[in-house]
Amino acid sequence: MNNGVEGDKNMDTEENIIEIRNLKKSYDDGKIKALNGLDLEVKKGEFLSIMGPSGSGKSTLLNMIGALDVADEGKIKVAGIDLTKASKLNEFRSKEIGFVFQMHNLIPNLTVLENVEIPMYESDLSTDQMKERALKLLKSVNLEDKRDQIPTKLSGGERQRVAIARALVNHPSIILADEPTGALDSKTGDVILKLLRDLHEKENVTLVMVTHEPYVGKMADRIVNVLDGKIQN
Amino acid sequence: MSYLKLILKNPFRNKTRGLLAIVGIAIGIMVIVALGMVTGGLKASTTSTLKAGAAEISVVQTGSGNYGSGRIDESRVTDLLNISGVKETAGTLRATNTSTSGSSTADVSGSSTGTGTTDTSSGQGSFGGFSVTGMDPDKLSLAGIEDVDGALYSNESTNEVIIGKTTSTNLDKNVGDTINLFGKDFTITGIYETGNFMTDAGAFMSLSTLQNLTNNDNQVSSIAVKIDENANATEVSEAIETAYPNELSTTTAASMASRMNTALNTIDTANWAISLLAIIIGGVGVVNTMVMSVFERTREIGVLKAVGWKEKRILGMILGESVVLTLIAAVVGTVVAVIGVVALLSVYFSGTIEPSFALDIFIRAFVVAFVVGIIGGLYPAYRAARLSPTEALRYE
Ligand SMILES: Nc1ncnc2c1ncn2[C@@H]1O[C@H](COP(=O)(O)OP(=O)(O)O)[C@@H](O)[C@H]1O
Ligand SMILES: [Mg+2]
Repeated sequence: MNNGVEGDKNMDTEENIIEIRNLKKSYDDGKIKALNGLDLEVKKGEFLSIMGPSGSGKSTLLNMIGALDVADEGKIKVAGIDLTKASKLNEFRSKEIGFVFQMHNLIPNLTVLENVEIPMYESDLSTDQMKERALKLLKSVNLEDKRDQIPTKLSGGERQRVAIARALVNHPSIILADEPTGALDSKTGDVILKLLRDLHEKENVTLVMVTHEPYVGKMADRIVNVLDGKIQN
Repeated sequence: MSYLKLILKNPFRNKTRGLLAIVGIAIGIMVIVALGMVTGGLKASTTSTLKAGAAEISVVQTGSGNYGSGRIDESRVTDLLNISGVKETAGTLRATNTSTSGSSTADVSGSSTGTGTTDTSSGQGSFGGFSVTGMDPDKLSLAGIEDVDGALYSNESTNEVIIGKTTSTNLDKNVGDTINLFGKDFTITGIYETGNFMTDAGAFMSLSTLQNLTNNDNQVSSIAVKIDENANATEVSEAIETAYPNELSTTTAASMASRMNTALNTIDTANWAISLLAIIIGGVGVVNTMVMSVFERTREIGVLKAVGWKEKRILGMILGESVVLTLIAAVVGTVVAVIGVVALLSVYFSGTIEPSFALDIFIRAFVVAFVVGIIGGLYPAYRAARLSPTEALRYE
């Protein structure tokens, strides 16, 4: 993607919405090195697919980008914010990031519509505006007619569509999807993948997705492989 | 959907657990409200015993005690007028009519206490009979009876009686009706109301009639003494006891009231202690309920963090849910207490004690519930707010 009209020496840093240098994260007192000096750059508006074996550190990487956890070492800058120094991480997540997990993680006692409204509680929107925005997103994932349903009554694919609507509702600049099709059959998974790709294009949002689906290569702008907490070249 | 509505939706996700928590706290609140209503009612009826027109001193036989069956020779009623500071005296004979229907044996219990004015202790009410006082009709103001609905009995009458408001209600008797007392039929000439729950649950008749009926000729069980306006009740009391050593003992209405107040204050303290216990027990229940709830929703709380909820908002949600539980419990406990107390008092005390509906009883109940909600919710809410989002999302 090259939309840098004012392209100059700074072009690179301006275009990179994610910049990661030598990022390290270990668990269990250093016994598990989940990230072991990882470098990664993602351009604004890019669709990046991350692959790699189980336990290689993919989820840890997404959690770092989404500021759900802090690194032990290294540099990580997302949407212009240095996450090693940032203080209001919840505000960052609320404004810049939309998560889609392998498990839909919807709140079981809330309706589809109410689930999509959840991320907007930290915004200044009125309840009417929240509802309006949530309905718009439900329309874009084709679930308007299920707005008053309880998640347990939905199919796996429908739940994941609700989760996608929820991820997009705050106009994030990045969608982080961690194996969003992992719990679905391949046909439904295909639909979800295409939906994510379409929304990424329509809303011009950066999409970083961990997935094992082999055909994702045809859709993504780029694929990187993670092994032992590092990007493989 | 508003944040408040979200909070209201959560406490009943696990209905059984939510209801159990509510029942636990509601019991505590119920006890607080019920005790408050009963003690409040007792307080109101003791304050009304200190009436302007009533006698300040009650004289009984030495050694007979407050609940004794002492007898005083009737001549003392006039003798006492010679003591300085005494303005007026009235001989009083009290007996208990055990059979209100009056058809069978009329048993004179002989138990007689203080005067009609200051006695708050014998507690007969409608338990197995009510108290009948014999007194000169001109002196009824000394017993706190200021006016009568109907007419007074005459001093010479042998078959006239006036009954208290409570007696009238309990026995469903009105002016003109006949009532059988000590095996003899009496006509009710009037109905009185003093505000003293004991007095209002009794009846008054001519002293000589009661003396005859109960074989107490020329004897009274107590003498009511009204003192001069500028006299001191304690000094007059002492003067009476000095004049008739080993014969007469006195109690002042004021000391009686203060003794009653001490007793009520003890009940008040107990009330607070029980409230505290309710707070602790209810609080433990709330902590338990909310910790379980937070534990079960670990992943969900991880999601809330992932979508950008502030710690404060998560804290507020859990605290809010906790307070919702305790406030519902406060409503339930209060309703049960009000119904229970009103029902129990009317069945067992036949309305002799009016329950208190003082606002502060209910405010106290709701404040206690609110505090239990906050204290009980604090720890689980703090834990939820401080959960690590990645750990929460990994939680199975
Ligand atoms: N919170 C954690 N506590 C302990 N170990 C963890 C934690 N998160 C991840 N790990 C470990 O770090 C490694 C990388 O995990 P993860 O990033 O989830 O891998 P992937 O998503 O590629 O399967 C694994 O060995 C995993 O067990
Ligand atoms: Mg993973």
